[in-house]
Amino acid sequence: MSIFAVALDQPGRSVVMTGNEAVARGAIEAGVGYAACYPGSPTAEVLPTLAQLGDKFNLYAEFSSNEKVAIEGAAAASFAGVRSLTICKVDGFNVALDFATAVCYSGTGAGMVIMVGDDPSAHSSVKEEDCRFLARTANLPVLEPASVYEAKEITRFAFDLSEKIMLPVVVRCTTRICHASGNVTLGELPPLEKKAAVGRDRKFITNVMFAPFMKSKLKNAAAMADTSPFNLYTGPEDAERVVVACGVSFAYAAEAVEILGLGGSVGLIKITNTWPLPENFLLKYLRQAKEVVFTEEVDSFLEDGVMTLAAKHWEEVSPIKFYGKNSGDVGGPRGPYAGELDPDIVAGCLGKIFGAAYAAPEFPRIKEAWELVGYSMPGRELALCAGCPHRASFWAIKTAVELDGREAIVLGDIGCYTLGLVRTGYGLLQSVHCMGAGVGLAGGLGKLGRFGFNQPVVAVVGDSTFFHAVPPALINARYNQSSILCVILDNETTAMTGHQPHPGLGVTASGKTSEKVEIESVLGGLGIPVAVHDPYDVEGTVDVVYRLLRESGPRALILRRACALVAVKGRQKDRVYVDQEKCAGDDCGCARFCSRVFACPANIWDGQREKARIDEAVCNGCGVCASLCPRKAIVVERTV
Amino acid sequence: MNYTAKGPGDLKKEVLDQEQCLSCGLCVGMCPYFKAIRDRAVMIHSCGLKEGRCYRVCPRTGVDAREMDKTVFGGERNDQALGFSRGVYFARALNPEISRAGQYGGVVTALTAFALDQGIISGAVLAGGNPASPETALAKTAAGVVSCAGSKYTAVPTLSSLNRAARDGMENLGVVGRPCQITAVRKGQQADLENPGAVPFAGSAGLLVGLFCFWSLNPEFYGYLREKSGNNELVKVDIPIEGVTLTTTVGTATRPVDEIRPYIREACLSCIDCTSEWADLSVGSTEFDPAWNTLVVRSGAGQSLVSEAVEKGVIEIKPYPEERLPILRQAALNKKMRVLEGPEGPGPGYITVGDYMGEIRKQWEVLQK
Repeated sequence: MSIFAVALDQPGRSVVMTGNEAVARGAIEAGVGYAACYPGSPTAEVLPTLAQLGDKFNLYAEFSSNEKVAIEGAAAASFAGVRSLTICKVDGFNVALDFATAVCYSGTGAGMVIMVGDDPSAHSSVKEEDCRFLARTANLPVLEPASVYEAKEITRFAFDLSEKIMLPVVVRCTTRICHASGNVTLGELPPLEKKAAVGRDRKFITNVMFAPFMKSKLKNAAAMADTSPFNLYTGPEDAERVVVACGVSFAYAAEAVEILGLGGSVGLIKITNTWPLPENFLLKYLRQAKEVVFTEEVDSFLEDGVMTLAAKHWEEVSPIKFYGKNSGDVGGPRGPYAGELDPDIVAGCLGKIFGAAYAAPEFPRIKEAWELVGYSMPGRELALCAGCPHRASFWAIKTAVELDGREAIVLGDIGCYTLGLVRTGYGLLQSVHCMGAGVGLAGGLGKLGRFGFNQPVVAVVGDSTFFHAVPPALINARYNQSSILCVILDNETTAMTGHQPHPGLGVTASGKTSEKVEIESVLGGLGIPVAVHDPYDVEGTVDVVYRLLRESGPRALILRRACALVAVKGRQKDRVYVDQEKCAGDDCGCARFCSRVFACPANIWDGQREKARIDEAVCNGCGVCASLCPRKAIVVERTV
Repeated sequence: MNYTAKGPGDLKKEVLDQEQCLSCGLCVGMCPYFKAIRDRAVMIHSCGLKEGRCYRVCPRTGVDAREMDKTVFGGERNDQALGFSRGVYFARALNPEISRAGQYGGVVTALTAFALDQGIISGAVLAGGNPASPETALAKTAAGVVSCAGSKYTAVPTLSSLNRAARDGMENLGVVGRPCQITAVRKGQQADLENPGAVPFAGSAGLLVGLFCFWSLNPEFYGYLREKSGNNELVKVDIPIEGVTLTTTVGTATRPVDEIRPYIREACLSCIDCTSEWADLSVGSTEFDPAWNTLVVRSGAGQSLVSEAVEKGVIEIKPYPEERLPILRQAALNKKMRVLEGPEGPGPGYITVGDYMGEIRKQWEVLQK
């Protein structure tokens, strides 16, 4: 629904909101006072929701420069007696993990919750990863909401649990929980007063000698899980066939059991406490089960846990046949270890396992639609947005690299500019791993001279990534004199996750102004020479990149131009159009450069006139294509 | 010969990757896929076309000498050494400022500036800048031409300016170029005759002033120049028979010519045109009197420009000394024979001389006696 729903003081009322909003509301109902986050899909909307309500609910919310800083800030609030929330995607939890694996030893004070977003099918990620293994490594309990409704309830509950066991609690939400909308029943809003203080006698020390105490906390968590109302069983009490599910997969399993008409014989177990497991609750059903199926997304975490539990109690449980990711029986078209599940996939798998006929529903309208377009609808290729400054940067870097002719290596990482990997990014990037990784890799390559390595090395990073992860790698390159060129694609926002602010912008999560952290100053402080250029000036950018490629030592270039989507907000776009008299069409010899090669979504081919055309609805008016057209056939009309 | 059947992939494979590019610059900027940096033309992206103008106009992808003679001059040549000519002269500029700035007699600078002044051309494509860091220039005034005076000896890809000028809608540009560059422009005009409008720059090129050129040097020569001129600003470079003459702000020094042989571009070794045979006018040194240039007047357009320039006192000309002509002709024929029959190279795949070959050999043998 909206921020309005999240703020509503009407206990008992059922309102529609997204999973991310539900988590924010749950935290507010739990009296959260401190929230910190580095934005990552699918959880990027939680923090802005809290930030907007900061004054109303007396809470502090920040975008932190990275997830490790965020979790440390949240832990500090907890130490001082203020409930805290940190939010990240699983990739960010990796960054926070160093602290997470330590804080379990020191313990926490006021309730502290870590909301982690897993992204099955990697809709807005480069990989799938299961945060539950990380939470287990960090000795932190994991709760998994199975619906938007539960996202709110479980978040609120997680604060209480954290306080009881003095450990942060991980709430794992997958994309389909975060981004779905559903009914949430509003609870009471807590008093607004919060008091922060750390007594001189309070200590939060990480030391191996606290391991037994920490493990005992987890034992308590397991005991509490046994009686938690969030772990449920439905179905016949003596079921020999059982489906164990968690998260949104539980909803799929419930639907599949119903579609297959198996409700009378198959039991359905919903596990919210996926770690540590509600062992006694599970054992009750395992004792009578002969066949157990697992449905969960990303990895076989629940499955492995339950199988281990069965093995520990082998003398109590009858021989059970397990079906899941390990056996290869549960999975989508890309196999058990990749891709989301859905009701159709789960029904198909359960049907096969339990011998129940399942025919996927037909959608006649889809067939009809295909017939209408003559089965020829082109696939939609991954591409940067119209007017994206990265496109101009990539074309310029590619040109400079080719002109240099020494096979410069171009390394990237994750962000909008990951698209430098694909055809529409001219296949520029040769590596993509995690935030800032390109610079670290570049630093390594830059030191291989003694083994005959003589190619120029370029790393491209975003501005938000720069603050998140790049300075340590640059300090290393500078200190160890690695010959690299770090290109910072500064589009003045955290674009990929939805235009969140970062330290370089001079505005905070709550919209307050703050003095910018200038990228130039950071680089200057590191003693790394830096050039700044506007990538929309492609020709000039080629010259600068070429010149820098020929230099040696650690050096940096900021290609600065606001994200096209931000730049056009609230102002009239410049009009760009093709003068079709000048465009020579296929006689030009450019082989449809603008629409086919440069590949801005606004540059399209006018099939009727066989000339280039601009899709003015899509065009953001950057005019870069006009500067590259060999016939000067593209006209830019500046509005001011 | 069907030139158009090949495209950028072939150009890369046969020319660029084989060190056969002469850095004329004509493919640069004609489409978005060819760029140049210093003296290197590069294909930065494959457009994927099977046939392309880039291949068609490249001076290294096939020239039929006899066909080109017909296209440019309307007939076949008699003189295999110098090609078509209406007259060969000693010539020099009369403006002392131009003589001082220009190479030898300053005729290229004087005639180009004059053509601009007279409105015969609207601009001139030249190599400007310092010999150690030359650049592509498009002069639009006589003063602009004078500022570009002096030989560069490297292969500046100046013809990219023609594409830029065509893009900007300019017409009637003068081109001052090396023989390969003149050939490239003529190939483009030839293609345009076959298929009007196919080559955008063809309409932009007007008067072609060709230079004498026995080879050009690769970009490592710039390093050599910087090293040998020390901290002093280089003003002029000359490479007469005696050696490499470097003039800096503090003085002139001559170095052995062998020092620069390693910098000769590979591709130049297989060139058979050292006097810009398809230009309107060709200008070079006299190898005899440094105050004068050799001027070969070839086309009607060249003839009328020279006549007017003489009449208006821009240049003066005198007959080519009879005893010197065989020396010039022999030098030109030697180069042809070396390439076409000699052991130096595999012979040029880029040019077809057909039954000119017998004449070349005959005229060369005459001079040998």
